[in-house]
Amino acid sequence: MAKHKDKKNMKSGPNAVAMKHQAPKPNPFAAKAPNPSRADTKNNKETTTTKKKKNKLGPSSIAMKLQAPKPNPFETIWSRRKFDILGKKRKGEERRIGLSRSRAIEKRKNTLLKEYEQSNKSSVFVDKRIGEHNDELDEFDKAIRRSQRERLSKQNKKSKYNLSDGEEEDYEFQSLGALSERDDFEDDMLPDDDEDGAGTAKTKKRLATLDQFESHDKQNLQDDGPMRGEENRHKSKKEVMKELMAKSKYHRAERAKHKEELEDFGQELDKIFTSMAQSKLLELAEPDKSVPNEKKDELSGQEVARSYFKALGTLALERRGQPSDRTKTPEEIAQEEREQLEHLEEERQKRMLATDDYSDDQNEDDEIPSSQRPRAISGDDLGDSFSLDEEPRIKKGWVDEILEKKDASDSESEEGGSSEDSESPEDGSDEGSDEDDNEGEKNLLMKDWEQSDDDNIGTDLDEEEEEEEDDDDDESEGHENDDDVNEKEMEPRELKRLKKNDAADASKKQGKVSQDGKRPSTQSDLPYLIEAPKSLEELSALADNLSNSDIVVIINRIRKSNAIKLAAENRKKMQVFYGVLLQYFAILANQKPLNIELLNFLVKPLIEMSMETPYFAAICARQRILRARTEFCATVKNPENSCWPSSKTLFLLRLWSLIFSCSDFRHVVMTPATVLMCEYLVRSPIVSGRDAAVGSFLCSMLLCITKQSRKFCPEAVMFLRTLLMAAKDRKPATNQDSQFYELMELKALRPLLCIRECVDQIDPLNFLTLMDLPEDDSFFSSNNFRASVLLTVIETLRGFVSIYEAFSSFPEFFLPISILLVEVAEQDNMPQVLTDKFQDVAQLIKTKADEHHILRQPLQMRKQKPVAIKMLNPKFEENFVKGIDYDPDRERAERRKLKKVLKQEAKGAIRELRKDNSFLYEVKAREKVLMEEEKAEKYGKVRLFLQEQEHAMKSGQLGKGRKRRR
Amino acid sequence: MVRPYAVKGKKRRKREDKYDRVEEAEEAKEAKEAEEAEEASEPEETEASQPEDVNKGAMVEKHRNGNEGEEKVGNPIELEGIPIIPVELSTKNGPGAIFILERASLEVAKVGKTYQLLNSDDHSNFLRKNNRDPALYRPDIVHQALLMVLDSPINKAGKLRNVYVRTAAGVLIEIKPHVRIPRTFKRFCGVMLQLLQKLSISAVGKREKLMRVIKNPVTQYLPVNSRKIGFSYSSEKLVNIQNYVAAAENNRDFVFVVGAMAHGKVETDYTDDFISISGYPLSAAFCISMICQALAGKWDIL
Repeated sequence: MAKHKDKKNMKSGPNAVAMKHQAPKPNPFAAKAPNPSRADTKNNKETTTTKKKKNKLGPSSIAMKLQAPKPNPFETIWSRRKFDILGKKRKGEERRIGLSRSRAIEKRKNTLLKEYEQSNKSSVFVDKRIGEHNDELDEFDKAIRRSQRERLSKQNKKSKYNLSDGEEEDYEFQSLGALSERDDFEDDMLPDDDEDGAGTAKTKKRLATLDQFESHDKQNLQDDGPMRGEENRHKSKKEVMKELMAKSKYHRAERAKHKEELEDFGQELDKIFTSMAQSKLLELAEPDKSVPNEKKDELSGQEVARSYFKALGTLALERRGQPSDRTKTPEEIAQEEREQLEHLEEERQKRMLATDDYSDDQNEDDEIPSSQRPRAISGDDLGDSFSLDEEPRIKKGWVDEILEKKDASDSESEEGGSSEDSESPEDGSDEGSDEDDNEGEKNLLMKDWEQSDDDNIGTDLDEEEEEEEDDDDDESEGHENDDDVNEKEMEPRELKRLKKNDAADASKKQGKVSQDGKRPSTQSDLPYLIEAPKSLEELSALADNLSNSDIVVIINRIRKSNAIKLAAENRKKMQVFYGVLLQYFAILANQKPLNIELLNFLVKPLIEMSMETPYFAAICARQRILRARTEFCATVKNPENSCWPSSKTLFLLRLWSLIFSCSDFRHVVMTPATVLMCEYLVRSPIVSGRDAAVGSFLCSMLLCITKQSRKFCPEAVMFLRTLLMAAKDRKPATNQDSQFYELMELKALRPLLCIRECVDQIDPLNFLTLMDLPEDDSFFSSNNFRASVLLTVIETLRGFVSIYEAFSSFPEFFLPISILLVEVAEQDNMPQVLTDKFQDVAQLIKTKADEHHILRQPLQMRKQKPVAIKMLNPKFEENFVKGIDYDPDRERAERRKLKKVLKQEAKGAIRELRKDNSFLYEVKAREKVLMEEEKAEKYGKVRLFLQEQEHAMKSGQLGKGRKRRR
Repeated sequence: MVRPYAVKGKKRRKREDKYDRVEEAEEAKEAKEAEEAEEASEPEETEASQPEDVNKGAMVEKHRNGNEGEEKVGNPIELEGIPIIPVELSTKNGPGAIFILERASLEVAKVGKTYQLLNSDDHSNFLRKNNRDPALYRPDIVHQALLMVLDSPINKAGKLRNVYVRTAAGVLIEIKPHVRIPRTFKRFCGVMLQLLQKLSISAVGKREKLMRVIKNPVTQYLPVNSRKIGFSYSSEKLVNIQNYVAAAENNRDFVFVVGAMAHGKVETDYTDDFISISGYPLSAAFCISMICQALAGKWDIL
């Protein structure tokens, strides 16, 4: 209902009667200029909702109803949104589909229908009356315009050159303003057009200008185009000027600001400088100068600048870091040593000629090297800390003296000191002895500073003590450094045990050796520069009748005078010398009374030399291993001979284990060496107690080698087990180990280690003394020996257990041994210490094996895990906004967008065309119907006429017309 | 006679599976017509069997891959010779389960300038301004419930057929069982927001649609002869879900209708049974987890 009223309102426009009934509020339509019905649909839309209420309030519904046209019921249908989204403005709901459809039909009637009607016409009627096409004007305005136009055209034509005679003219000119010229121009150019009255573009323009004069407020978009353009141009000029000014002002301000900032910065810098001058320069430069400077700073700027430059100068001239002495290259160091030796040699030669100056020279001798010493042991000295050539000599002299002394005083007390020196041929005490040397040298150094060499004898005791301390230290260090703690524990014990038995012998021997050594040990007799010997004969000639220490000294001097770094050809010499020295070592090791001290001393240079020529050392070692193996293969065929390795082989193996890396997975020397040792253990039959001792020594060596790499050595463990079997009295009846017993038969085992009687004390074996003993010595069949071998065995076994405890086959391998251990431990006559140890190790094996058993899992069918369905992640945007294309390819998105637009447009066009067609079809159909009707009517008329005529003729009358007329 | 749509239809079928039954039926009809028209075309059976073969092949491959993975990961001691227990392939066949979450509160609103999924925490003021009860806007319930369903072993075993969510406004959403629902609530909101505006969510890197808005009513998507069970605390019939599920026939699909709303009760006309499974009011998520456990027990899924 309300809408009808609106329509009525719009149509009736300023209908006063209708409006009176409404609320006292001013109606927007009443206030506004009267509107034509169709033009203002937009306004209508905007105000519908408000008007609804107003109109409902108005009581004048009856009067309007009468006037209202019949509404189209379809136009009242409103579009409806499907989903109500909270918070969204309801924009789409104002649309009425029916209304828009009827509007579209109306539009077609105005455009398409017109065109259609015109389509068959040859001429067109164009309505060019003034204001006719302007919808905003009503009839009255149109009339006014037309009259104005009429007047103006008249004026232009005739009274152009007349003087102005009224206010109107003035007004016009004023208002024309800038446009007067243009008008003139137009008038001049196109008078004909005006006369004709034909609607050209220019006349339209002109009309437009006129319009502006008349109605200043109303400005049509179409008409006032040129005017606006002019205005824009004008404004832009002004703007340009303004912009220019603003810019220049801005730049000026910028410059000023910049300058100010610079000044500020300078002041700040000055401040910093003064504070710097206060704090740092005071310390650097003389305080006297800077302080007054500071005071002046405050006084004047020039002073500041001057002081600044002064400070700058002092800082620039100040000393920087000084260049220190260059670090020396190894070659240079070697050269120096050689030179030193040459110098000493010269002096020696001199002394040999003139012996009178001996004491003085010696003093000098000592002083000169002592002055040179610090350089020699400087931090740059890389590996060759043994470069102190003459110190070992002196030190060894002391050692000899000490040894002598000890021998003289008593053999018991020296055990602690010297025995440790002697007892460590195999294990890490080689390093210990090295350190011995070094530390001894250092001590000596200290002593040299304090007193001359002459009081040596007086300080001997002190030094002895010191040495002992050093030894202790060394031992502890050795423990730390070496991983093979077990072995360390074991072997000393082994050795100590022997010491009890053979302490006297050993000490005597040592004494002998030292005495032997002492005989020619006037040390200065040794030449300082020695050519490297090329054969064993040369070396033995050199070393003949010399003390151990002298031999070491000689070797050191050879090495020094032929250092590889000195000359390239020295490498060859040294390689030859290395081979010779190794041979010498082997020969020494094979001597029946072992010169263990010398062997010990030889180890160090050998190790160092093999570091220098590693490739050659490896070749030597491999060759010797190969030879040992062939020898072994030969001897093992003959069952009578004992095929256990000789002491030479053992010593060499031990040496290599020190020289080469044991922890490598595969090593050129150590792998074959290990294999060889294992072969010895497996293939050699155990015939005597000595064999057992040698075997156990090999086992402990293997343990030492495999400790880090944890390589599995079944031979060693098997051998230990065999030894344990040998310790058992009776043959076991269990046949589960039958395989093992077959192996035992191969070994031709007898109960070699079965302890028959009570042993009161167990001492560790001294392997060296054992090696010295003849094979059929009674000691090997003594119970003491057996007990100590068992001790060694059990300790080695413990070591193997600790190494292999992580192996998953551990229980299988060690559990039978633990059973055996328990059995052995239960035997009669077994010493308590051994029993405890056996049970201890058995327990250890048991616990470890139990751990493994617990961790083991039964064999199971492999289960396939069920395969889950594959999950897919949904693709979504973090901040999704509807209507945005989230395609990462912008081009594609753009294309898609355009395509969409195109499709939309195409659809719209198709729809329009379809509707047009249907509209036209309707029109045509209507026309057709009309025509048909007309036709039928005409036909009927004619037919009627004919019928009447016929009727009249037949009836004889003249016709109907006559009757009608009547 | 040319067949205008046959090629297109085939291509489509290979590419993606169909969603709307109606469409599918139409397509099938089309395809049939095309086949009738063209004698030379291959028979239907071979077409049907081909994908199966492919599936088998894929399965075998998966087996192999799985073994390799195991061998790599597991003990190196594991021997080649030990046989593998074959996995039963029947899990994917046989009856399955469908979950319908009724009255889920998933509603999009324009808050400020952006569209957001309404929840009671962030939009309480907004909701009050619009005269709504904030307590009713609980999308987190749906989130939890979906996580429970889609993470359950019965889904991993392939026994879950579909999940349908019907919002309080009546929008019906279909969710594929192999969707990995975002774990965080915020991301879930993002997905749902996009779903409700775009009406579908596709997989990452694939064109397959994982979630989409479909036409009501939900009954047209449920398998024929399925057992539809509604859950409510208000129901008089209190049962032990384990026994209840175990007692059901083996060859029928289950349809579980669970409410995903904070207050009120599910009112549906298509359920055959209306039960409560606890004397206490349960959360939707826990109720679903109970159901899933019962189903896993029934179908021996561990």
